[in-house]
Amino acid sequence: MKITRRKLIRAAAAGTAMTGTLGLPTALFAGQKTVKLGMNIPMTGDYAPWGLPGLYGCQIVANDLNAAGGVKIGGDNYKIEIVAYDHAYDTEKAVQGYKKLVLEDRVKMVMMLGGSTVASVLPWARRKKMLTTTLLPSDITPKSDYLIATCESHPLYNVTGVEWLAENHPEAKTAVIVTNNDAEYGLQSAATYKAAFEVAGIKVVDVNLHGFDITDFAPIVSSVLAKKPDIFCMATSFYVTPLMEQLYHQGFKGKIISCTLDYYNEIIAKTSKDFVNGTIFQFPDFDDPALNQAGVSFPNPADFDAKFRKAHPTDWSAVSWEYPAILLNWLEGAKAAGSVEPTAVLSALKSNKNPNFVFGEGEWWGKDLWGQDNALVGRWPVVVVEDGKARIQEYRSVSSWLDRNKAVLIRHMKDLGLRTV
Amino acid sequence: MNSNTQKIVGGSLLLAALIALPHFLKFHHQDLLIFLTINVLAVSSYRIVTLTGEWSLIHAVMMGVGGYTAALLFKYYEVGMWVTLPMAGILTAAVAALLCFPLFRTTQFYFLIGSFAAGEAIRLIWIQFVFPFGGTGGLSGVEPPMVGEIDFMESIPYYYLALSVVLLCLFILYLIENSRIGLTLHAVHWKAALAESVGVDTWRYRSLAFVIGSFFVGIAGALKVHYLGTITPNQFGVGFMVFILIWVIVGGYNKFYGPILGAVVLTLFDESIRGFAEVRPAIYGAVLILSILFLPLGLESIPSKFKAWSGIGKERDPLSLTDK
Repeated sequence: MKITRRKLIRAAAAGTAMTGTLGLPTALFAGQKTVKLGMNIPMTGDYAPWGLPGLYGCQIVANDLNAAGGVKIGGDNYKIEIVAYDHAYDTEKAVQGYKKLVLEDRVKMVMMLGGSTVASVLPWARRKKMLTTTLLPSDITPKSDYLIATCESHPLYNVTGVEWLAENHPEAKTAVIVTNNDAEYGLQSAATYKAAFEVAGIKVVDVNLHGFDITDFAPIVSSVLAKKPDIFCMATSFYVTPLMEQLYHQGFKGKIISCTLDYYNEIIAKTSKDFVNGTIFQFPDFDDPALNQAGVSFPNPADFDAKFRKAHPTDWSAVSWEYPAILLNWLEGAKAAGSVEPTAVLSALKSNKNPNFVFGEGEWWGKDLWGQDNALVGRWPVVVVEDGKARIQEYRSVSSWLDRNKAVLIRHMKDLGLRTV
Repeated sequence: MNSNTQKIVGGSLLLAALIALPHFLKFHHQDLLIFLTINVLAVSSYRIVTLTGEWSLIHAVMMGVGGYTAALLFKYYEVGMWVTLPMAGILTAAVAALLCFPLFRTTQFYFLIGSFAAGEAIRLIWIQFVFPFGGTGGLSGVEPPMVGEIDFMESIPYYYLALSVVLLCLFILYLIENSRIGLTLHAVHWKAALAESVGVDTWRYRSLAFVIGSFFVGIAGALKVHYLGTITPNQFGVGFMVFILIWVIVGGYNKFYGPILGAVVLTLFDESIRGFAEVRPAIYGAVLILSILFLPLGLESIPSKFKAWSGIGKERDPLSLTDK
């Protein structure tokens, strides 16, 4: 191709224009600082569904905030950067990841899933005074000053589902509980459900605590259905889908209540819409109209839901909005503190007795059970599948249930050998 | 330079490199180095079990026995790390000695399956008995000590501690392998019937190898739990056992350094592909298949292959049946 002088001038002009356009964001971010927030989560392995969708959610929220020009904290304008480390729910990698995020990447907060991976980093959180969050408040100990649970108060919110079930289906009088026998998820949840059923006047006729790596759930389901329960309860089970399939095949007609119902569309595909309809659980989709009610502090949930499902059509799970909610909570604390420093943000969050919780105003709780008021509890939605779609029925207060019944809860926690103060 | 001098110079250079290494690493790579050092002891102690020809699937669980021993002594009796380390080895060896009676009634594939079942039984005990083992959540708060100004919670001091313990253990394992006991273990593997015909009690020597291997992997477990501060049954499950097997197979198990080579190379490789989270298992799997296809005797066979290819010298294949 022959290059004429005219073509060269045109190309140069176009290039100059292009450079100017591309340079615009740089000009926008001029003088802007960056605050890094860490995620030390499982992104591969069995626990990945409770890690990776949270990273996707945080990236969406961070992109939105950055696109709007960043966030103002203490007179400075900050761009938010999410730095993630995949610990694959392995304690060794969790420690490595925590050190990388805190000492090398210099993040100002580390978000984690919970359990043994959190326990392994707690000495470092204390030593480095690093604000660390968990989705399992049962990780809180009398010594874990820098560990807070600002979003998911697992498994305390399960009491709201039972309360709603008892009021709306008073004919259901007996329940069975099935879950994996692990002290981090299953037993905590089983103890909470037992307490909630006792308070609601529902008799628990069987509790089946099974091991991991089960492949055939037919005998487990047959065994508990032999007790003729009105309610089948899955207490933070890792095996919701196979259990639901067995309930369907064995013709269970009673009420089903579960902590989570992740990927419920797949369950419908494997069973039927009619069967799954009426299942009660605790985690809403974010296109739910009830999230537009006053008090819900998550900004524009429907837009978040749409963006998430467009970018990651098959990855929505309970944690998709939880880590972003923690991020937003941190932002509130940082703005109140006028600083991004971990101790200042923690202090600002804790000094507010009723900080904004994702579903409304919350309060700090936990001292009676775990030794420190480092878990934020408030109202929590009761979700029911209606016509194949998760829909919030109403919000109920976890705090007021705890005020009335914490002694019952602590008794059941102790009965199952769980740590309490 | 004669062979011994070469070994002394090489060893000194390696030791100097190991001492200097953590100072050139990032914080989280220092941790990786600590876990790698501990895992080197895990694979080396496994090798002594395989010397008799028996491949067990309980070694990771025995590491857990050591870890839980240290954690329980620390948590419930406030015993310090200096005592829990040897106690972990001794108690793990004692558990191994008890297990010898049912396990070594079998050999080969049956032993493999039996060892897996015994290991799972032990793991289920940790899971089922929330007291004292903490159930699936395990135990936490098992922190390393402060000695004067030395804080063993920091990576570099703990690395030097772990390196010292592991080198001492490797030295003892090397001496055992090259002693009369070691030669007998080889004989039990390759010529069991002949060994029995000259009065060698093969049951006893198989058991001895298992007990010795368990003693050292118990110490490795204690080292790990004191650095991590937590212990859970999942840390010592089938997944970790598979890693031990892979390290040994890929590294090779005919030479003392083979499994160590496997652990080091594969750990570094795994870390180097961390950026490719979604395809990492596939890459790792492909490398394993390729290494088994093209290096059936492990990475340790590369020098002899290279020599054979370049014609520098002829080395006998250690497994060759045709050489005399």
